[in-house]
Amino acid sequence: MEKLIITVLGKDRPGIIAKVSASLYALDCNLQNVNQMILQNEFSGFFIVEPPEALGMNALQQRLDQDLSGDGLQVYIDQISPSDGKQVSGTSETFLITTIGPDQKGLVARFTQIIAAHRVNVTNLTAVFKGGEDPNANIMVYEVAVTHTTDQANLFEALRTKAAELGLDISIQHKNIFETINKI
Amino acid sequence: MYNEQEILSTIEMVKNEHLDVRAVTLGISLFDCVSHDLTVFKKNIRAKILRNAADLVRVCDFVGDKYGIAVVNKRISLSPIGLVGAPFSAPQMVEIAHELNDIAKTVNIDFMGGFSALVEKGIAPGDRALMDALPQALAQTQRLCASVNVATTRSGINMDAVYEMARVIKKAAALTADDDGLGCAKLCVFCNIPQDMPFMAGAYLGVGVGDAVINVGVSGPGVVKKAIERALEKSPGLRLGQIAEIIKTTACKVTRVGELIGREVADTLNIRFGVVDLSLAPTPTVGDSIGEIFQALGLTSIGVPGSTAALAMLNDAVKKGGAFASSHVGGLSGAFIPVTEDLNIAEAAAKGYLTIEKLEAMTCVCSVGLDMVPVPGAITEETLAGIIADEMAIGMINNKTTATRIIPVPGKKAGEKVSFGGLLGASQIMDVPHAHLRDTFVKQGGRIPAPIHSMKN
Repeated sequence: MEKLIITVLGKDRPGIIAKVSASLYALDCNLQNVNQMILQNEFSGFFIVEPPEALGMNALQQRLDQDLSGDGLQVYIDQISPSDGKQVSGTSETFLITTIGPDQKGLVARFTQIIAAHRVNVTNLTAVFKGGEDPNANIMVYEVAVTHTTDQANLFEALRTKAAELGLDISIQHKNIFETINKI
Repeated sequence: MYNEQEILSTIEMVKNEHLDVRAVTLGISLFDCVSHDLTVFKKNIRAKILRNAADLVRVCDFVGDKYGIAVVNKRISLSPIGLVGAPFSAPQMVEIAHELNDIAKTVNIDFMGGFSALVEKGIAPGDRALMDALPQALAQTQRLCASVNVATTRSGINMDAVYEMARVIKKAAALTADDDGLGCAKLCVFCNIPQDMPFMAGAYLGVGVGDAVINVGVSGPGVVKKAIERALEKSPGLRLGQIAEIIKTTACKVTRVGELIGREVADTLNIRFGVVDLSLAPTPTVGDSIGEIFQALGLTSIGVPGSTAALAMLNDAVKKGGAFASSHVGGLSGAFIPVTEDLNIAEAAAKGYLTIEKLEAMTCVCSVGLDMVPVPGAITEETLAGIIADEMAIGMINNKTTATRIIPVPGKKAGEKVSFGGLLGASQIMDVPHAHLRDTFVKQGGRIPAPIHSMKN
């Protein structure tokens, strides 16, 4: 059977991963990847599993709903088509785009539009907006994969112009500089 | 992914603490350009330098931009012209100086070093011609840097050369009197000159160093100062051993940045990577100062009692951190204390905390010598030679590099102001006690023999 991706959302509390993985184990699913994230107090978990031949998607959904809905957790299941694994191809270099400055609506939308217009993939994004006076309390960090077909100068220039327009301090640096300074 | 703190502290180092790559210096050997015909020689050196350096500035800017770290200066160091230009006379050497200055402008670098002679044991005809040409060469060019090595631990001190260099310095000052003796700011007198140093004015390419090589000089006194301040703010009771550890860790990070940039520039230019010189080099900017580190360590100012000990600790910790970070460390690698180039050190001299004698004492434990020291124009050649000889003796006996870059400012006295502009900075002219003496010691000539510990074979 094809692989499935299971998304679990809900209020964070101890034991969520334990519960999900116990249910999957009971159904004889093979867990291949797990990742979780907590934004403010909201839990989101992603599980890629290989289910046994006999187990249908509906049966799995029912069982997980039954085990988890009592805790207010929502479960979504989707199939992963085999071609998805081949999407990331070609060589790319990772740059970190960091902006520091006052929070305002539409920041992520405006920057990602520029990045998308240059057909560049965002491989990781962290945005924290706590408001207040401390400039470091409002930052966005985009990890982007720049390929040889990317018009790098044009992309960076567009980002810098947008940042200036919005009163943000922007830094665009190849990831190796962070590797060099922080990982010894 | 990196955590927020790692990202923010890296950006902080670059943006607010002045972390930069101070110099990427391309060393080019000129031995295959040698000719007895000046026209052919000039044509050869131009072709060779342009072949290797045409893309230097563009590549440095590109790599600097990629990592968000400025490569402040792009420079070239050459084989000693006293050697490769040995057949030429002093006026011809001046012509070579003009040619090199012009090539520097063509490839858009700020300084070209290697108008140099190695005379620690004797002065050959080419060296003599170069030394005779120095005052005019320095006065008539803007981007050329010169150095003369007059002593080594293995060979002793060539006192004839020391006295000769005092005279050269006085002449160069006189020829650039309108610019407060600026010519002398481009001339270093060395003991144990390093063959691979990327920093000016002393950079030249050593004889055994190969055909072309990229050497990198990192900087970052502001980063070190901030690291000390942050640590002391958090725990005011830190012991000095713990502070040394912080300096060491910080120097390690700074050095790794230099190596990253240097290797990428070298790879892109398809030129061998040489060394990282992990010196803390200041600029005349607040927050980019060695002097401020002394204050972060709890001293009133650089120059007060305790300064030599603090500098010894700083210099050693920088070397240890750098040595761990890079397998190819070279050049001077330590802390610089140039008077005019460091706003805080210049201020210490103006306020009387730092005297020339204390400066000399401090050079016993750091990586350079009496660097960018403006002195009264009336100083005698004999006294100037005495100061140079003292500094050379410190290097010779302690098995380390020392140098002097002293600027006698024509027509000006101690306490008057002098400004050389740009990175060369500004300060008050330092008082030199007994500057008027005409003692005969330095004029006895000959060589001060190499010390007993030179006999290592």
